[in-house]
Amino acid sequence: MPIRLAGLLAATLVAVLGGLLAGGAFVPADQIFGALLHPHASDTATIVWQLRLPRVIIGAVVGAALAIAGALLQGLLRNPLVDPFLTGVSAGAAVAIVAGMAAGVSAAAVPALGFAAGIATALLVAALARRGAGLDAIRLILAGVSLSSFFSALIALMLTRLQTTDAAPAIIGWLAGSLAGRGWSDLAFAAPYAGAGIVLAAFAVPSLNALRLGEARAASVGVDVARAQWMILASASLLTACAVTLSGTIGFVGLIVPHIARRIGGSDTRFVIPASAMLGAILTIAADAVCRTALAPTEIPIGVLLAFIGVPVFLFLYLRDRRVVA
Amino acid sequence: MIAARNLTLAAGARTLLRDVTFEIARGELAVLLGPNGVGKTTLLRALAGVLTPQNGCVAIGAEPIAELHPSQRARLVAHIAAEEIFADRLDVRDVVNTGRYAHHRWWEWREEPRDLQAVNDAMRAVGMETFAQRSFDTLSSGERQRVWLAMALAQEAPVLLLDEPTSHLDIRVAHGILHLLRAQAAAGKTIVCVLHDVNEAAEFADRVLLLGEERLLADGAPDSVFATAALEAAYGMPMERMRTANGAIRVFPAAPAAAQAEQA
Repeated sequence: MPIRLAGLLAATLVAVLGGLLAGGAFVPADQIFGALLHPHASDTATIVWQLRLPRVIIGAVVGAALAIAGALLQGLLRNPLVDPFLTGVSAGAAVAIVAGMAAGVSAAAVPALGFAAGIATALLVAALARRGAGLDAIRLILAGVSLSSFFSALIALMLTRLQTTDAAPAIIGWLAGSLAGRGWSDLAFAAPYAGAGIVLAAFAVPSLNALRLGEARAASVGVDVARAQWMILASASLLTACAVTLSGTIGFVGLIVPHIARRIGGSDTRFVIPASAMLGAILTIAADAVCRTALAPTEIPIGVLLAFIGVPVFLFLYLRDRRVVA
Repeated sequence: MIAARNLTLAAGARTLLRDVTFEIARGELAVLLGPNGVGKTTLLRALAGVLTPQNGCVAIGAEPIAELHPSQRARLVAHIAAEEIFADRLDVRDVVNTGRYAHHRWWEWREEPRDLQAVNDAMRAVGMETFAQRSFDTLSSGERQRVWLAMALAQEAPVLLLDEPTSHLDIRVAHGILHLLRAQAAAGKTIVCVLHDVNEAAEFADRVLLLGEERLLADGAPDSVFATAALEAAYGMPMERMRTANGAIRVFPAAPAAAQAEQA
């Protein structure tokens, strides 16, 4: 297990360095790495430090956050089809952001607005999913899915009303998911919440391992099931809200990456969570690099590209053999 | 070792048991008997501290179980629920290792030599040491039951509570499990076990707690409990008693002729 995690860490570093090489303008590798060491020396340094490095790091954070959230929720609900958007975070954030953009809210306020609305929706989903002191898996899924559908309908309604205004392209770009135009300040806003989400996730790892055997057995070995459920949902909601704030709705990372992690190293949560984080980062950085360069100077929305690549890969990995791996 | 004091238990609006009091001593193997739906599983869950009684309390030694933190509780009581839901690729060792949860703080992710020792001892005690790497979902029902028992033993709790550990098992495998429980009682564990087979209880229990009509109908050694009419009261049907060659009691539903005679 430690060897595989070390391998993934090395692959993540390679992905970060590779991500720095990709961009609209070609810059030789030696100049890129030179600029990394001398942040104020040249135009190249500006490209690396103000454009590429924040973008690659944001890609890593978004990918890791979504993948951890997906792994947490799949483990909590013992359901392999769950993704982080089940928390309602992305739908709630999307509605608020679309409404905000349409109403002409300044671009600087949009991330905070999305974050707040995402967390508010997660709280609503959690309130609906409550049973006794803990959470009911079926209620959580029903509440998350139905609220998300409701908000999608709201967004569709707003978009049909907005077709002729200038805000529509920006809104569609956001809904398709993109890392374009994000910088250090966006990262600084999201970082504390992402950090809190990761601490909570680490806290929940041992209890998630016991929850693999079902709630009754987890309780009998000493897991405070209700507390573990709230911690896991809080962590997944915070991480998803950070990802959505930074990049819009990027699908499939949170669904697929935990499955790939389990393929590599089994279902022990002590492996799945860190491995998912690194694989999510790698996948998102790589996909974003393709988005920036494939049709340059036009960017492909990363959410679209991930769906194009991710869905066939997922179907191949998951349906190739007939065993269910949860 | 484990005591129920004036327990009243309900399922929804329906009261299952009223004012039940008993205490099981260290090294004792007690069996809960009674018809379906009488509240055996609910009583076991209350003893395990995972269900709050309407009234009364459960104590482990001097500790009221309701006041213990879940991980403290799990170091005192291991509860093997009858629930069987499973959709994961786990090997036997992973499952048994889960029993070590309460012996770790949340940041202690690594297995210590103590954990390895406890897991190995538990798998040896149930005769599953060669199954460590086997995938759990390839095991038979009897093998799974032994793995759950090993998980509970790895917990190193002095009290073991088991819900129908012999259901769905053939007679040889069932007796294998019950012999394991006897050995654990002899080693000092306190065991409370829900069974359906009256004769398994007659053969293996030190003590039988017979539930019916919202209360504890009888409590004592199998010989004395089964000799009374409490059994008929509990199950609502006539019984016939026999003695084995060595004098132990066995109970069977009365043959139709005997039943008619009894009714007449």
